[in-house]
Amino acid sequence: MSKIFKIFLCIGSFFFIFQACSKKPAGTKEKDASTFSTKEIQITPNVKMVSIKGGKYLPFYGDSSLVEVQDFLLDERPVTNAEFLDFVKKNPKWKRSNIKTLFADDTYLKNWQDDETLPKNADPEAPVTFVSWFAAKAFAKSAGKRLPTLDEWEYVAMADEESANARNKSEYSAHLINLYNEKLREKKKVQLSKPNYYGVYNMFDLVWEWTDDFNSIMTTADSRTGDFDDKGLFCASAATSAADVLNYASFMRYAFRSSLKANYTVENLGFRCAKDLQKNSK
Amino acid sequence: MKHLVTSFALALLTLQACKQNASDGSAGKTENAMEIKVSGETENQKAVNPPTVPAPIGDRAAKKVIVHLEATEEEGELADGVTYKFWTFNSTVPGSFIRIRVGDEVELHLKNASNSVMPHNIDLHAVNGPGGGAEATNVAPGKEAIFNFKALNPGLFVYHCAAAPVPLHIANGMYGLILVEPAGGLAKVDREYYIMQGEFYTKGKTDEKGLQEFDQDKGVDERPTYVVFNGKKNALMGANALQAKVGETVRIFVGNAGPNLVSSFHVIGEIFDKVYAEGGSKFNENVQTTVIPAGGAAMVEFKVEEPGEYVIVDHSIFRAFNKGAIGKLKVTGEKNPKVYHKVQ
Amino acid sequence: MKKLFIILFSFFLCFGCTENQEEKEIVNEKTADSIFLLDSKWQNQEGKEMKLEDLKGKNLVIAMIFTSCQTACPLLVADMKKVESKIDAKKLKETSLVLITIDPENDTPEVLKKYAQQRNMEGEPWIFLRTDLESTREFANVLAVKYKKITPIIFSHSNIISIFNKKGEMISQEEGTVNFDAIAKTVNGLK
Repeated sequence: MSKIFKIFLCIGSFFFIFQACSKKPAGTKEKDASTFSTKEIQITPNVKMVSIKGGKYLPFYGDSSLVEVQDFLLDERPVTNAEFLDFVKKNPKWKRSNIKTLFADDTYLKNWQDDETLPKNADPEAPVTFVSWFAAKAFAKSAGKRLPTLDEWEYVAMADEESANARNKSEYSAHLINLYNEKLREKKKVQLSKPNYYGVYNMFDLVWEWTDDFNSIMTTADSRTGDFDDKGLFCASAATSAADVLNYASFMRYAFRSSLKANYTVENLGFRCAKDLQKNSK
Repeated sequence: MKHLVTSFALALLTLQACKQNASDGSAGKTENAMEIKVSGETENQKAVNPPTVPAPIGDRAAKKVIVHLEATEEEGELADGVTYKFWTFNSTVPGSFIRIRVGDEVELHLKNASNSVMPHNIDLHAVNGPGGGAEATNVAPGKEAIFNFKALNPGLFVYHCAAAPVPLHIANGMYGLILVEPAGGLAKVDREYYIMQGEFYTKGKTDEKGLQEFDQDKGVDERPTYVVFNGKKNALMGANALQAKVGETVRIFVGNAGPNLVSSFHVIGEIFDKVYAEGGSKFNENVQTTVIPAGGAAMVEFKVEEPGEYVIVDHSIFRAFNKGAIGKLKVTGEKNPKVYHKVQ
Repeated sequence: MKKLFIILFSFFLCFGCTENQEEKEIVNEKTADSIFLLDSKWQNQEGKEMKLEDLKGKNLVIAMIFTSCQTACPLLVADMKKVESKIDAKKLKETSLVLITIDPENDTPEVLKKYAQQRNMEGEPWIFLRTDLESTREFANVLAVKYKKITPIIFSHSNIISIFNKKGEMISQEEGTVNFDAIAKTVNGLK
């Protein structure tokens, strides 16, 4: 069976190469025209941004030195299907049929019915998924925002409903593991659950979320190598290790991030936007 | 595509290749395993569900074998009326038994189901290389990783997921066995079975009904709620008991996934004629109970002389009778009074 | 009979190998996407403004470094030089070896130029590039290079050498302890 498939693939790719060859001379200009421009058409998603008071925190992976997070603004919830639809309508190059694999792999907006139709039975108010880091970043930019940094995201993620830092509560991690382990959670509407200490919703119970520097985690893909100072693989890396080996929820988040590439699109991976507090836009 | 071409080219020669290699097949010592050339048609190994295993490799030459595993996360039954969110390889606990020979070149495809929540990977103890493949296969939901390895050491090995947090991935059921047969294959037996012991740590007590959540504290404290064979209490009981006939030799590939406990594997009423302790190449004879470490395996072989039901246990016996580490082998056939009979 | 068979066999094997290479390129033709699609603005070691598209027409060997690095970058740079020495002279004319800084704040064109001078990496085929912070992150993501700023002058990052063809499509990557022979071989095999 798989052989038949391969034959098709083979024939298909030959066909493709012929086409590619014949197109090449004429196609160069065409390509130039479709070259990416950094300017996104502006969108104005109607989402409240919560002001987060910065401070020092201990990253989950590190050399146990504290990291300072500046005051910033964070969307109170993830970006929704409806908002992303509006974005692609105004920015056609981010439509599914126009996307380049450099910026999103072949499952980009996979469940959408077509370029401008949300998935069947999808709630417009559910978080958008199957979006790449590039797409998330472009969305944020067009909204005059940016993606939160990993430190910003994790800083807010320390909070539970009552306190800014619930890490030491024994139920914190266990509770999250069960939220994470729930299937199809991404289909739910945003803001159905309770907000955390800051008034931020859905940090854990809907989707994994892109961060701007998701690829800054200096762990190897093999999570068991206790510290990550392999000079062959990583340059100048201080010996880093997990701050709290019992925090399984954090292990999961970091493991998830380290399995990603920027053009990946995944069924339960979405994003929310952030913004510097002082400046209006970057 | 690559395989298509090579297999097409080589398919013509397969018959001859087999003939040629069969003669030097038995010469494949471990030290020379690197030098063993693969030949013949590429095999796409079909997954079979435990406790069955793929057919013996016999005396075939080393070849290229493609193995497909899919990491899944699905709710299933852990005991009567008790459900659990298992993480699996190929939707079974343990995952599909992989069967190859020394010198084989394996192309392992690890797909992570698109509706998975977690990233997964695979560490095969049969692999020589960093992480046993874990680093090469860390794969996000909906994606697929492919990696190649050459089997250098014969033996019975555990494989498991090693994505962070590793203990959780193992505790949820992500493990299985891979058998690397020596050149020439294992001795022929009448029956082969695949049993893997594993612990489960649930919030509720043993047999407490309903969907049970993972209990991290119990895991860290090494206090399992369940110790079971093949992912479920009673997986090898009743209609699912293993079968054999009087006079047959039974070989059981036994693995222990842990994540914490060491198993004292025993078949009540039988003596293992041979035990390949720790899954290695040497066998011990006439063994009652064999120890199988967490992350280890053993092959046990015995001839059954008397009909009846033989109970398979972890002889740390509370586990067997209270936590589920119990199974059965049903032997049918003629009674053998010389070997066993009740007088009064 | 046996010998005849072996000859036949090896013939088929060779056939198999060449086929494989062809197949590899087909796959790339189909799936790869060009880094020239990136619209970011860059500066080379001479301070000249450019776009990645300006690198078009040559095969590219790319690594990301920062000049104040004392540990692995010198090794990575040494590997790049070894790669250079292993590329056929003819191929070298069609190849650019590009070092991109992950520390654009400190690695100004002047710093990069000095770095190149000190290490005998001036002129062709060497190119040093910097861009803004955001585009640096973006480019690292295209290469799947991980990096993190540890202190204002120290970064942790993964050591990866990536090879691109003349159209800017990624051909292969080598991570960690780099096999420069393999890289040079790949480059020599490019059209």
